Amino acid sequence: MMDAMMAGEEVGAQAKGASSAMAGKYLTFALGAEEYGLPVLKVREIIKVMDITQVPQVPGHVRGVINLRGKVIPVIDLRLKFGFPSQDYTERTCIIVVDVALSGVKVMMGIVVDSVSEVLNVAPAEIDHAPEFGDRVTTDYILALAKVKGTVKILLDLDRVLGADEHLAGRVF
Amino acid sequence: MTEPRAWNSRVDDLLTRLSCDSLVEPVGLEHVRTQLLAVATAIGESASPEAQSCADRIRLLSLDLTAAQIGRTVEETLAGWEAIKGGDVPRDVTRAGIPPAPAPAPAAVVPDDELATLASDPEMAGMFVTEALDHLGTIESAVLLLEITPGDTKLLNEVFRPFHTIKGNAGALGVATVQELAHKVENLLDLARSGKHAMGPDEFDVVLKAVDLLTLMIQELPERVSGGAASDVTARREALMDEVDALIAGRPSVKTGAVSDSAPPPVAQAPGDDPGGRTQWRQDDIAQSTVKVDTRKLDNLVDMVGELVIAQSILAEDPALTKSADERLGRRLSQLKRITSELQRNAMSMRMMPIRQTFQKMARLVRDLSKKSGKNIELVLQGEETELDRKVVADINDPLMHMVRNSVDHGIEKADVRAAAGKPAQAVLKLSAYHQAGHIVVEISDDGAGLNTEKILAKAVAQGMVDEGTVMAPADINQLIFQPGFSTADTITEISGRGVGLDVVRRNVDALRGRIDIQTTRGIGTTFSIRLPLTLAIVDGILLGVGAERFVIPTFAVRESLRPTPGQVHSVHGRECMIQVRERLIPILHIGEAFGVAGARQEITSGTVVVIEDSGHPVALVVDELLGKQEVVIKSLGDTFQRVRGVTGGAILGDGRIGLILDAGGLVAMMGKHTMRPAA
Repeated sequence: MMDAMMAGEEVGAQAKGASSAMAGKYLTFALGAEEYGLPVLKVREIIKVMDITQVPQVPGHVRGVINLRGKVIPVIDLRLKFGFPSQDYTERTCIIVVDVALSGVKVMMGIVVDSVSEVLNVAPAEIDHAPEFGDRVTTDYILALAKVKGTVKILLDLDRVLGADEHLAGRVF
Repeated sequence: MTEPRAWNSRVDDLLTRLSCDSLVEPVGLEHVRTQLLAVATAIGESASPEAQSCADRIRLLSLDLTAAQIGRTVEETLAGWEAIKGGDVPRDVTRAGIPPAPAPAPAAVVPDDELATLASDPEMAGMFVTEALDHLGTIESAVLLLEITPGDTKLLNEVFRPFHTIKGNAGALGVATVQELAHKVENLLDLARSGKHAMGPDEFDVVLKAVDLLTLMIQELPERVSGGAASDVTARREALMDEVDALIAGRPSVKTGAVSDSAPPPVAQAPGDDPGGRTQWRQDDIAQSTVKVDTRKLDNLVDMVGELVIAQSILAEDPALTKSADERLGRRLSQLKRITSELQRNAMSMRMMPIRQTFQKMARLVRDLSKKSGKNIELVLQGEETELDRKVVADINDPLMHMVRNSVDHGIEKADVRAAAGKPAQAVLKLSAYHQAGHIVVEISDDGAGLNTEKILAKAVAQGMVDEGTVMAPADINQLIFQPGFSTADTITEISGRGVGLDVVRRNVDALRGRIDIQTTRGIGTTFSIRLPLTLAIVDGILLGVGAERFVIPTFAVRESLRPTPGQVHSVHGRECMIQVRERLIPILHIGEAFGVAGARQEITSGTVVVIEDSGHPVALVVDELLGKQEVVIKSLGDTFQRVRGVTGGAILGDGRIGLILDAGGLVAMMGKHTMRPAA
């Protein structure tokens, strides 16, 4: 079920089937005033923000690399990636370490978020497909919207969010 | 079958042990006899009459056992065993690589049926493929040596034995096509062994061809098992087998040694030329006992040891410990440090292997090339025992092959040209490997015509790589041959000259963090030196501090470091961009500025300058301070940062943070072309 949920093709399909396929457990986190969710199966661990070594010649939202117990993994600041204003890291700032598939290859990446909220069970009835917002907002990597307890959570298609950063260093040249 | 399983497994155990023992040489005859009797006894415990008669036969065989019969006896034992056991017992015996019963009618086997056993046990299939390829490598190098001394029965045995093993294993796994071909060649070799057939040039050719074909067939097995396509070798295989048959039929009962005076093949070194170095290693190989380990496990171990070393240094630098005045604690810590670094050295050495195998492949290549081109070439190998990282060994193969082809085709002149220049008719191609200052150098040296610098420049101008009238140093001109698409050959030959090759060499060598130097003298010859790091996993570096960040620059790239005085720094258009070191003006690269590091010192004179050099081009790196020397484990930054220039990877430093490892070549290239842009 989770697998089907992650398939990007399902996004935007109006069919009811898509909604039930996207139901499941999501880790929710905050960016500014907004709440986002990503499939828990993608999450490897959550760590406190640590020293990030910056890497030259990459877009600003790529903060650099961290040492995760001997593994060097890239870290993306989701705030900057989504165009929020930059903000100093606080006690609540976290790095969510996720598994993403970049052109078929599974890699580990860290994403910096303002704070991690909870693991949420999203029922099919709570899922809404992402509407088109026109040119103002890119919805490419939004899986769906979930209306839970009166708030809206934006469910992310992580492979798409981070897929754009693949070989990002090469683009600069 | 009605036999109790315990009984089955006991016989299996005994046979496995026997086969293991027989693989380890030399096996005492008495030992084999005892083992066989034990097998016979075990089989005899069974109530069935077939088992009893099989046991009797084994007892008989064990009594009149002679050295030559060992192999056959084991086969027959197994034949009997397989017969009793029938089909329903797992064929565990075959795992041990014992030469099993010769399949009665391999020709009748439909090719795809032969994959059934392999498909059912991928692990065993994998082992078979690696082992067989290993054996084929052994055979090839032994054949090349045997060409020089055809009468050497010990060498002949070294060719024969692996063939026998391959045949046996292939038979056990039901790979009939491989088994059949190996069997044919083995027959020929067996005749030679018993002095009934002389090994001449034709025989060597056939054996080498068989090695090639078997290599191809075995390499493609995994592909075939997983349903992939494979080359159709049926025709080649049959032709080759006919050839072997013809050889066997054509020259019966010629005494070995009768042809020992036949002309040695061109590649061969004259006997007695360097006998020590060449024959020594064979004995070493036999004497060494080795274990095969999955390379992933090994790499993992090396990684973990790297982590251990880092964890140890983090501990050692911990303020709580450094402040402690406890002497005993300090002693224990330094003991820990000694052990970890010893462990690290050992772990690293496990990844090292001699370059021998690669060199021997070149021996074969030169032999073939020299036949094809009609040039008489002597190949001299030196330093085959030089060890380097196994990844480097694997990756150096292709570049080396290109270089050898290039030397044979472009470097070494045709016979008439050599005669006109008063050079000996036999050209010398020398491959050598040695250690030098933390690097390994692989040299390809020929006594050919040397590089024609003017012609290279003219060609480069004609091909639009260089503007006309450009003044270049000869060394830089020579490096042009590594540019993509470059070729000075007037004629395209089968061997090379299509303008494909040397740029690939350069790319491969670059990827290994190595570099190629050329020394050439017109009419005397050319030497290409490929300098490579000893290992790809660790680099000896100097730690640089820039702002809050730290960088590592590999020590080998560093020429010197200095604290510049205002008088040394020169500016152009108001920008400080050059520093004078003695008589030399060196361009400046401000690391903090180029990499966008916050908090880096702006004043050059308040910082430190590290002069690095790559391919003869120096760059002065401006950093805040030098923090010391350190060996670091190189970690890839991953695909995400694949194309970041000037950085080769990351190193986990003593405090657990990552320092970027600078790439001298990339930094120099950044100075050359203004491709650098600040981060978006």
